Amino acid sequence: MKQKSTLKKLLGSREFLLLVIVIAMFLIVSAINPAFFSFKAISDMMKNNAVTMVMALGMLCVMLVGGIDISCMSALALSAMSIGMLFKYGGLTSTILAFLIATAIGTACGFVVGLIISRADVPPIIATMGFMYIWRALGYLVSFGGEWAGANVLGDFPNFGTGSLLGLNNLVWVIIIAYVIFFIFMKWFRLGRKIYAVGSNPEAAQVSGINVRNIKLLVYTVMGVLSGLSGALYVATYASAQPNMNETTGAMDIIAACVIGGVSMSGGRGTVIGVLLGSFIMAMIPKALPLLHIDALWQNTIKGVLILVVVVVNAVLQRVADRNALSRREM
Amino acid sequence: MKKTLIGAAVAGLMVLGTAATAFAGSADGMKIALVGKSAGNAFFEIAASSFVEAAEAEGATVDVVYPEAATADAQIKVLDNLISQAPDAICISANDVNALQAKLEEAMDAGIKVSSFDSAPNPDSRQIFINQAGTKAVGQALMDAVCDLAGGEGQWAILSATSQAANQNAWIAVMEDLAANDEKYANLEEVPIAYGDDEPQKSTDQTQALLDNYPDLKVICAPTTVGIAAAAKLLQDSGSAVKLTGLGLPSEMKEYTGADDAHSCPYFYLWDMQGLGKLSALTTIALVNGDITGALDETFTAGDLGEYTITEADDGGTEVVLGLPLEFNEENIEEMAKLY
Amino acid sequence: MAGKSGRTINNVPESSAKRMILSWEGILVLVLIGVNIFCAFFSDVYNVANLLRQMPYYLAEMFLMIIMAYILVLGEIDISVGATVCLCATVSCIVCNAGAPFIVVILATLVTGTLCGALNALILTIFTELPPMIVTLATQIIFRGIAEIVLGSGGSISASNTQGFKLLSTKVNLGFGKVPIILFLVLIVGIIFAIVLGKSTFGRRVYAIGTNRLAAHYSGIHVQKIRFIIYTMMGTAAAICALFYVSSSYGANTTTGNGYEMDAIAMAVFGGISSTGGKGNLAGGILSAFAIVCLRVGLGQKNVHAQVVLLIVGALLVAAVALPNIIGSLRRAVKKS
Repeated sequence: MKQKSTLKKLLGSREFLLLVIVIAMFLIVSAINPAFFSFKAISDMMKNNAVTMVMALGMLCVMLVGGIDISCMSALALSAMSIGMLFKYGGLTSTILAFLIATAIGTACGFVVGLIISRADVPPIIATMGFMYIWRALGYLVSFGGEWAGANVLGDFPNFGTGSLLGLNNLVWVIIIAYVIFFIFMKWFRLGRKIYAVGSNPEAAQVSGINVRNIKLLVYTVMGVLSGLSGALYVATYASAQPNMNETTGAMDIIAACVIGGVSMSGGRGTVIGVLLGSFIMAMIPKALPLLHIDALWQNTIKGVLILVVVVVNAVLQRVADRNALSRREM
Repeated sequence: MKKTLIGAAVAGLMVLGTAATAFAGSADGMKIALVGKSAGNAFFEIAASSFVEAAEAEGATVDVVYPEAATADAQIKVLDNLISQAPDAICISANDVNALQAKLEEAMDAGIKVSSFDSAPNPDSRQIFINQAGTKAVGQALMDAVCDLAGGEGQWAILSATSQAANQNAWIAVMEDLAANDEKYANLEEVPIAYGDDEPQKSTDQTQALLDNYPDLKVICAPTTVGIAAAAKLLQDSGSAVKLTGLGLPSEMKEYTGADDAHSCPYFYLWDMQGLGKLSALTTIALVNGDITGALDETFTAGDLGEYTITEADDGGTEVVLGLPLEFNEENIEEMAKLY
Repeated sequence: MAGKSGRTINNVPESSAKRMILSWEGILVLVLIGVNIFCAFFSDVYNVANLLRQMPYYLAEMFLMIIMAYILVLGEIDISVGATVCLCATVSCIVCNAGAPFIVVILATLVTGTLCGALNALILTIFTELPPMIVTLATQIIFRGIAEIVLGSGGSISASNTQGFKLLSTKVNLGFGKVPIILFLVLIVGIIFAIVLGKSTFGRRVYAIGTNRLAAHYSGIHVQKIRFIIYTMMGTAAAICALFYVSSSYGANTTTGNGYEMDAIAMAVFGGISSTGGKGNLAGGILSAFAIVCLRVGLGQKNVHAQVVLLIVGALLVAAVALPNIIGSLRRAVKKS
């Protein structure tokens, strides 16, 4: 095999294509409405999508081993509601402690889901559908059937969502740190490479000495960690914890972000950069549509069509790329 | 002047509310089912608990039932369950105007009295609606607040819940009608309505879009509890000069309410939730006892709340109106936040 | 990995009676009886009359389950059905309010649903590499979005002439109670589709595709044609569900059909139809659907908190799939030692 030049490889990659789409969207929307093109607008957009962006990293891991997790939003609600109630009645005041508790609860949720999937061989969609109901119901029970924790009981906690460091909002920092960690972890750490190995070919991975079950357990636990963390982020961002939070959107937006970012649902393919760009596109859609003065009633339809178009265009380009590769090989 | 009047009304209602007198049980053994919009609605819980208290004081037993989601579909399942249990009355806060008609008609055919409060199903599906505050009164109060905060002129925006939220649509219709026809609001310019779907994330997005799209915007009116809290937080955090009003829960809004520039919401409205629960309970009991049938112009005495007359609702059905919307501002917010 | 999750892998032939009782369907019959005994003790208004009265709403969802079973056997999934139900219910109300005779309402609804299904089918068969989950996620948003646009700012519509829809909720008095006609319909459709799936060439081909698509393709099965037919039928089923939905609501709104896809999948999976494809049969799906319906009716009649009911359903779902696997691996471990 001939080594392709780095530049050519870069230009031919799916991530590059996504980057072009993101930039094109940015330019088009900014041309129509300059308000879109500012540091503050981008920072606000990231801040308001911190939850989705962070959880998309967990979904990447899950999807890399060929799994899926639709229970993550319910795990988020359970952990967020738990700290909300602890702030309200448990005398919790420390921000760090709140983050730790939420993350711990999320981790426990993810671990249980991972155990069921990896040890009892339950198909991921079924297991996480079950736990979607279970965690959500526990969230309601924790909130004594449906109490809210509003800004007045959360004390200093929401300040985390408004505070900033070196001119960047804390939430944006969380996103950056999470993406950097995952980028390094997935690319250079042995465990990260093992996840790819399991996703591309479970049998081969097993034979080569990777404990496939433990890797599966790991990815769902990672998803849980991020769900719990996001639960705390959610409460910090919106200064409110409600048991029905994100019930309607569910995990579907996160899955869509990953798929747009080029993560394969059958496992083995997908990168952190792709997920970043995919979740950027998903974040831009609801942000951009009102700026373009599109009637509120049309927004969902356009969002659906956009997802479909991006996915189909991706598939077409992949076909072209495959055909080119094939014809080169024949020569 | 107006503010003090409303303030007095609040005080009066509160005194009445606390002075619940023991009443000879007019509803001994009566079974009432109270159906909410969804579990996890702090706003509804307050009315529900005072409903239960008032009904139990009369000797009735109340089952508060929540559907699994805030949809009409889920309420249909709940109504099916209730018809099997055959309570004396069902009092419902409807998730949709139309989609409950078949089940509520079936309930009425089975001899169950159907009243509704907070959010009404269509006139065919109910015998009476207990309205928290006249639709016109709410619309008028909100429009006056917008005009006041904008200083009589300039751009204003509405941040609503979902596009199909019946309550919000009714109030918005009144507001838009006033804005179009009343000279007083001639210098105000409304920008297209934004829908936050009662989700903090989407409400924040939509508020931000309003700010970006309309740099000259002066006032945002959010007649929904989730929307107003999300907008208040965004405006306050970003130090925007845009002022906010609307309908909200005092406990959720405490941090954002104040007349100075450090707070985003000078004042907002809601109604007497406890009074609503109590009036709903007493009206439902009167309906079961046959004191009223839900027909126009009937009168009845709702315990210590006084005498009420059944009037015609905007949708052509009949309703009982509790009273005027209450104003919450920096003077009473501390006090009211403890209540709800 | 997925191959191990089977429930009834019988390499050693056993006696047919033993096999029948030990099969998942046999267990489901026991579960159904158990659920009914439990409910009868749990709720004092749990009787045949009330059960028959409360059932139609859930039975409408069973139409979805029947075709969803085919899709799951293919090893695929369709999460757009709830939104299709929403769009179909909206169309049926609009056509009805335009004064059209009821037969036209039915036809218009069926055409709408079938078109929605055909759209999914078209995309999925042209771009075979696209995962069904993401395509139907996009169409889910689009179908509901179209309903939102059509319904306008009110977001809700009521059928002005309910005569026709009342016809659909007709009940036949059979002595022991008034039986809604939808029950007969579901049973007839269910049995026909169960036989087609289990005994016909078409059904065998569906299993073949679900077990190994490539092998099916090379053995001459028109994989894409079969997928196209099934996804289109899913749309038609959603239209039928929508008609019966409107007959128990006389109206539709933008949240109509929310979560129906999950209900349908849960019923099928609890019935032993594996989402990894190639396993299970419709008899199990129908039995489990009735078990879930009876349980939800029974719990609902005692006003058990709706979230607790969902918790129980979720736990049952996980347990139903996990337990046989755990027991199986334990048995293997014991044999080995």
